[in-house]
Amino acid sequence: MADATTAIWAPRSAWAGILHEGHIGLAGSTSITIAARDGLGIASLIAPAAGEAALAEAVKAAFGLDLPATPAIARAGHHAAVWAGPGQWLLLAETRSGFSDALQALSGVAAVAEQSSGRAALRLSGPRIRDALAKGCMLDLHPVAFPVGMAALTSIAHIGVHLWRAQDCPEGAVFEIMVARSFAGSFWSWLSASVAEFGCDIVASGASIGRG
Amino acid sequence: MRITCPYCGARDAQEFGYLGDANPQRPDGMDATEAAMHDYVHLRDNPAGRHRELWYHGAGCHAWLVVTRDTRTHAIEAVEVARKTKAGAAA
Repeated sequence: MADATTAIWAPRSAWAGILHEGHIGLAGSTSITIAARDGLGIASLIAPAAGEAALAEAVKAAFGLDLPATPAIARAGHHAAVWAGPGQWLLLAETRSGFSDALQALSGVAAVAEQSSGRAALRLSGPRIRDALAKGCMLDLHPVAFPVGMAALTSIAHIGVHLWRAQDCPEGAVFEIMVARSFAGSFWSWLSASVAEFGCDIVASGASIGRG
Repeated sequence: MRITCPYCGARDAQEFGYLGDANPQRPDGMDATEAAMHDYVHLRDNPAGRHRELWYHGAGCHAWLVVTRDTRTHAIEAVEVARKTKAGAAA
């Protein structure tokens, strides 16, 4: 009985029931790889008017991160900060363990809202990933226009997305993309259709934030 | 049409929502005459040419912008952050 209760309240991936490990689309070709980015600690930070410097200082002290002033992602150790609009950032942690406690360091200098269960993130990579994203993303993701570390807020298939470019992997460019959790199913319906012609592997999550 | 958001760069107009003329300033509702409130709420110019207007980058950074646009050609002359504009000039 106790086990059954525990099972009901076990954390459930935002991609549970949506993303299934295996291959989709063109058989015998893996031009794109998709991994769920589960288990991230995510919090939105909003600085008060004229309070950005104080927030930047507190984030630097607590996490060793320099808050980016432009649409970009900054990384340090197991944490990252992504620009999320003027005076706003998303703080990411590799794991949720201890994350809520760590956020206390920012309680006086920003409006902090934990979003760990509120977002659904994917890691997209492979030599054809730009071709797949180009079917719905209005941004120029060419390496010249969108270098490693750059981030953007935009919409794909009428769904608000937050995306950034991580370090390349041997197979090509790597993008991480985040949508509101309730849009995971709709976003997957667009993404799965868009990657199919190139052949896509869906693998277990594992890579760390913003790295290869 | 593309609007160059000061934060995000050039983006398609479909990322933005349009509000309208950026110039009207809300009168003090307790003191203003009925006619002044009527003007503010209902009356707008409809210029053929230069127009300062409010746009909201709803599918991007959520900033309110003041865009100066030619209504005949859609040529955009300037894009400013509304918050900064309001704080400074009596726009």
